[in-house]
Amino acid sequence: MRTLQAGYFPATPPEWFYAVMTLHGLGMVGVWFVAGLAAMSFLLTKYVRPSLTVSWIALGMTAVGVLLLVAATLVGKLGVGWYFLYPLPFFSEGTWPDWATAALFIALGVLGVAWTLWSGDVLRAIAGRYRLREALGWHYLSGRSDPEVPPIIIIATVSCIGVLAGLVAAVVILLLIGWEVLGGGAANDALLIKNLTFYFGHMLVNITMYFGVALVYEIMPAYTGRPWKTNTLVVLSWNTVLALVMFAYLHHLYMDFAQPRWLQVLGQLSSYLVSVPAAVVTIFSTLVLTYRSQTRWSLAPTLLYLGVMGWAIGGVAAMIDSTISVNQLFHNTLWVPAHFHTYYLMGVVLMTLGAVYHLAVTLTAEVENLKRSRIMAAHLVVGGYGLMLSFYLAGADSVPRRFAAYPAELTSGPMLAGISLVFILVLFGGLGLYLWDTGRLCARALRA
Amino acid sequence: MTTIPLLLFLLSAAIIATVFAVVARSSGQEGAVDYARVNRLRGVFLLSLLVILGIFLTLTLPRLPYPVEAAVPERIVNVVGRQFAFSLTEGPGPESLENWDRDFVPDVQVPAGVLVEFRVRTLDVNHGFGIYTPEGRVLAQTQAMPGYVNRLRVRFDEPGTYNVMCLEYCGLSHHAMRGVIEVVGEAQP
Ligand code: HEM
Ligand SMILES: [Cu+2]
Repeated sequence: MRTLQAGYFPATPPEWFYAVMTLHGLGMVGVWFVAGLAAMSFLLTKYVRPSLTVSWIALGMTAVGVLLLVAATLVGKLGVGWYFLYPLPFFSEGTWPDWATAALFIALGVLGVAWTLWSGDVLRAIAGRYRLREALGWHYLSGRSDPEVPPIIIIATVSCIGVLAGLVAAVVILLLIGWEVLGGGAANDALLIKNLTFYFGHMLVNITMYFGVALVYEIMPAYTGRPWKTNTLVVLSWNTVLALVMFAYLHHLYMDFAQPRWLQVLGQLSSYLVSVPAAVVTIFSTLVLTYRSQTRWSLAPTLLYLGVMGWAIGGVAAMIDSTISVNQLFHNTLWVPAHFHTYYLMGVVLMTLGAVYHLAVTLTAEVENLKRSRIMAAHLVVGGYGLMLSFYLAGADSVPRRFAAYPAELTSGPMLAGISLVFILVLFGGLGLYLWDTGRLCARALRA
Repeated sequence: MTTIPLLLFLLSAAIIATVFAVVARSSGQEGAVDYARVNRLRGVFLLSLLVILGIFLTLTLPRLPYPVEAAVPERIVNVVGRQFAFSLTEGPGPESLENWDRDFVPDVQVPAGVLVEFRVRTLDVNHGFGIYTPEGRVLAQTQAMPGYVNRLRVRFDEPGTYNVMCLEYCGLSHHAMRGVIEVVGEAQP
């Protein structure tokens, strides 16, 4: 994508850029959501029993959904952007056929059912051992710590409730649009659908972040040698998150001046406040966990630790953009991909990769080559933050996001896109090395 | 204007990276955790964070970009978007896709220094009405949403050619969807 934006292949038609962008966006959101949920479910088996069958069914259905999306975007050239803002899917101007739009909605339906089943099953498993009040840790607030609830249970409960709440909105969207298209109902209210779309979309990506954080809570203590137990703070923090995360999505509608003003202000307030528990509890505690801990920095803790750092840095960028008067200048510029790639790529992806590596190393009990790990991590950091910086600088320079080609007066757009290619190569070098090493370990684990 | 948020961000990112690096480095040494001290530190961190957020809220909330009813705009420009162009005119502009060719106006002239209200609509999908300064910086923006009129008020200080670009992805030629505002007259102090 960045090669096209840099203008290296001027002959490529723009529908390719937009179709690939849609696939990349939806695919990445989906893949890391599933990877996070899968890794978290796996770690949960230490405490409760999620059903393996449900996990496999959900994974299978996810694969079907993803295949449909691949077909819709690469074959059908569906280019609607990852949040497919109503009514764009129905205005293709001849670029994509109706079946691609239908495939999009069927895929979303399949994925929705799969993920509802899966998160529902995680909640069911937790309910098999704890009551809801306990799983949310409320008894800690009244000074009791019996039964003891590990943080990952609380985070999983909060996350899965969030996912289900988000999916309710997705169902409503599908019903409303289905009624309009198939049932001959009147045109839908675009502002309502946009609210629902972002409520759902924001919830999904936000919760993916929490899956990653759950992995850190569970695995990091094994390396720093200090426990990470539930206490009043942890409980307060995650319950605040549960309450606030429902309103943060409002920051996606700041530039819809027709939205009631109190909702806009609520958006800024809740976006600001939701950062407080993250910073004061999770990020601060990661630092406490590490400070003078004699940690041996093998790859897994390094990636987890770097992931928390990416979360913090991306969070600052997000808060800046969730300020309404700043959003007036940053909305839909490259600042937006800048901040979410920071806490996705440099946050949740690193956390998940770290967790997978931890499992691979644990299963094979191999002595890790620390030098190789260090090279890997260095590639990821240099490549990743270089790419991020190219996004941030372009965003602050008003370069719009989602432009297949930049108009002549925006000179910094193609220039920064060109520079970012170097960093993307470095990043891919690191990822390639990681995949090779982890693949090797997994193959060994399977043979053993 | 966009340099302040960028610098703020780079500064915060540098601080965060430094803290993480220092803590990672410290992990070579051995030391027990003094939890009373940790909690005091956490309290200080919480308080400073709340104070910082409070300062930013009081600084930014009075500067919302939404129209204030008390102020009366001196010019009204009707903006209509469709895949893939903006029509800008002080007249009513195209009311439907059928009349697009008849009523479409690609550019509008407004005087510098007066309060202009853009009434932004769309005839098909969502678009983003983004006004760029002659130097290529975003000056202001609002969405164009089916079924709604979004009112964006701007006072142009400098005369010149202000390009309009679409800032909400709207399909194949989204990046080529534009309009023009000519600001004429004297530069305002
Ligand atoms: C491997 C490194 C990656 C590179 C080089 C990369 C690059 C890009 C680029 C160039 C864009 C389009 C920016 C524009 O609007 O002009 C984009 C969009 C996007 N990326 Fe990535 N990305 C990477 C990893 C990820 C990851 C890990 C995620 C995780 C979820 C992700 C999620 C997204 C999403 C959601 C969009 C928005 C798509 C849309 O606007 O519809 N990306 N990325
Ligand atoms: Cu447009």
